[in-house]
Amino acid sequence: MVTAADKVDLLVVGSGAAGSVFAAEASAAGKRVLLLEAGPARTPDDLVSSQLWARRQKWGGAHVEEEGNHRVGHNFNAGWGTGGSTMHHYGVWPRLHENDFRTSTEFGQGMDWPFQYAELRPFYDRIQGAVGLSGDATEERWRPPGEAYPMPPVPVFGQGRLLAAGFARLGLHTAPLPLAINSVPYRGRPACLYDGWCDAGCPIGALGNAQTVFLNSALASGATVQNDSTVTRLLTRRDGRRIEGVEYRTGDGELHRQYADVVVLAAFTVQNARLLLASANDRHPQGLANSSGLVGRYLMTHPTVSLYGMFDEETQPGFGPTGGQLLNQDGYDNKLAVKDAYGSFQWIIANAVKPNGLLGIANNRADIYGAQLRPFLQRAVNHLGVMTLVAEDVPLPENRVELSSKRDAFGVPLARAVHNLDKAGAALVAHALEQGAAVLTAAGAREQWRGPQAGMHILGGTVMGSDPATSVTNSYGQSHDIENLFIAGPGLFPGSGAVNPTFTIHALALRAVEQLLRDWPSHGTQ
Amino acid sequence: MESLHKRRSLLKALVLSYPLVSGALLLSPAQARQRKLPLAVLDDGEAADLESVIEALVPGSAEAGAVHFIDYQLARPAADSLLMLRYLGVEQPHLNFYRAGLEALAQHSVRRFGKRPSALPAAELDTLITDLIADDTPGWSGPPASFLYFVWRSDGVDVTYGTEDGMASLNTPYMAHIKPEQVW
Ligand SMILES: Cc1cc2nc3c(=O)[nH]c(=O)nc-3n(C[C@H](O)[C@H](O)[C@H](O)COP(=O)(O)OP(=O)(O)OC[C@H]3O[C@@H](n4cnc5c(N)ncnc54)[C@H](O)[C@@H]3O)c2cc1C
Ligand code: SF4
Repeated sequence: MVTAADKVDLLVVGSGAAGSVFAAEASAAGKRVLLLEAGPARTPDDLVSSQLWARRQKWGGAHVEEEGNHRVGHNFNAGWGTGGSTMHHYGVWPRLHENDFRTSTEFGQGMDWPFQYAELRPFYDRIQGAVGLSGDATEERWRPPGEAYPMPPVPVFGQGRLLAAGFARLGLHTAPLPLAINSVPYRGRPACLYDGWCDAGCPIGALGNAQTVFLNSALASGATVQNDSTVTRLLTRRDGRRIEGVEYRTGDGELHRQYADVVVLAAFTVQNARLLLASANDRHPQGLANSSGLVGRYLMTHPTVSLYGMFDEETQPGFGPTGGQLLNQDGYDNKLAVKDAYGSFQWIIANAVKPNGLLGIANNRADIYGAQLRPFLQRAVNHLGVMTLVAEDVPLPENRVELSSKRDAFGVPLARAVHNLDKAGAALVAHALEQGAAVLTAAGAREQWRGPQAGMHILGGTVMGSDPATSVTNSYGQSHDIENLFIAGPGLFPGSGAVNPTFTIHALALRAVEQLLRDWPSHGTQ
Repeated sequence: MESLHKRRSLLKALVLSYPLVSGALLLSPAQARQRKLPLAVLDDGEAADLESVIEALVPGSAEAGAVHFIDYQLARPAADSLLMLRYLGVEQPHLNFYRAGLEALAQHSVRRFGKRPSALPAAELDTLITDLIADDTPGWSGPPASFLYFVWRSDGVDVTYGTEDGMASLNTPYMAHIKPEQVW
């Protein structure tokens, strides 16, 4: 049975970082807004402090097939339920740098963005004010222009002090990590307690996520989040030129239709591309918004490796935000500095770690087992230091999301995410790891080792640009092909930079929704 | 810092809910094991092999109820599972992964030592683990042996050290905002 609910003004698919900004601004402007969210309802009370319970927040939808020498790690990187991945995100919020927006012009690599940093700067500043960031803009000598942070930095614990000294001994710099975490009470939300539980979600609201900020205001101004509602298809008008609405399935398997004036696809990188491809119809035989053939293409992930050192000194590795305490971006701006390599990288320094969990203490020394395990853990919980590399990924058309021949329980083809790291990217990682090892030695680590190399964040697949032949959307995420279809999230990024993307996701979404509200494409009728 | 230590909570360890005629009995995995509560999906042979290997990887995990914990998670709806495997891109149902892994492990053990893992003395069990780590498992058919090592070791760590009791045994404060004392 198909049920069709009343038409809404704005239908947002996904209630995470990007979707919540659209919903908040549109409902504040008086639009009737509905967010369809595949995952369950979540409240702060669900954010149980446990690395085991944290797993309920991870992706619980259709399986994603993965291939390649450097997979994107969908299930680790994707969230599920009210607030999306933001609910367990760590709040590390650096800005992209000015030359991240013009890599083709400046370095002959990748693609330029359809606008420059100066265009996005006011949106970064406004988001920063709304969410509340802690940090020290002056100490971030590499930071592009922007307003100072509204809150002072978070404190530095033992491991941060030791690692900072290691950077300094090599003539490198560290600055407080810019965090969407309150160091002092901010706009009715309390200050952080530095207990290192961010991965499980912050129930006290010290961390800025969808639920504490934009989703909260969306709900306050009348938007509705409907959970357990998996969008399975976007529906176009018969002439193919406008979106009419979506089909979705509720947990009981029932098929529903929801009509809307405007649809925003904010289901995160892989599911956005999958839904567009799986919604192919007579008018759009290769998928919606895909006249360029680029939906799914230029899939990116930040190569990441954590480095660990054991120190004689007390390091307090269980304390502080999970995301870290300090940042190093020396050398970020010269993407051609390393021979045979390309790209920028940053170090996030002094992440809080717990004994268990994928990124926990035990798993970073997976070679230790049996009788040696407990003594190792006993030492590490007091003496471990951690720093994490985030490196740039070049957008390559062959890295992609495509449809599998297998289907999910609702009959929708599964996504297959194919991602390989090219030689220049691999060389960049190798160079950075050498530098990291030198820092740990200079910091006085007795012993040091590396965790596995993996993908952090998932970007691209629906890249924006000025030319409909070489991009999927315009600079607002509006489909070049379908006027009332917007795409939101890191899938829009034409380049990855080497910074965590969620600050930029918010800034882009704010810029886009303001444009949408200025120029509402409401003239179409069903 | 003192105040953070003071916030250390008195949470119970992992709690499993076993449906009984009279309602749910709340037990930790350790209690479930102690009371020999029946497993939901793993058979006796699988459970015994799994327990031997996980205990060898993470001493203390058998008593902490690792097998009851894993069995309980494998029996629940996929989206509710608390197993680390759900991060790692393995297709659901994860019972297939554990079952195929345990079968491959038992076959390798029988080929190498003429006995299932649960019947191996400590030294041979250790050799078996070394084989897994090195993927030195000729004729192996199942999920990669070294990956199974990683997953089972991690499961053992979860149950043994991922609780307030486990962290207390390492003398490190838990500092929960919300204690994980709901039914697992
Ligand atoms: C452990 C972890 C730590 C992180 N830390 C940081 C950090 O420190 N800094 C940073 O910048 N970024 C961080 N991130 C990344 C950040 O969370 C994401 O970049 C960001 O949330 C992506 O925003 P989004 O709106 O595109 O998607 P999401 O926030 O993931 O929201 C997408 C939502 O869409 C829903 N959905 C998917 N498919 C459908 C469908 N078919 N129908 C309906 N709903 C659907 C999902 O359930 C989800 O709720 C972290 C991520 C993880 C996993
Ligand atoms: S460390 Fe701070 S932001 Fe993270 S969960 Fe604890 S209080 Fe929240």
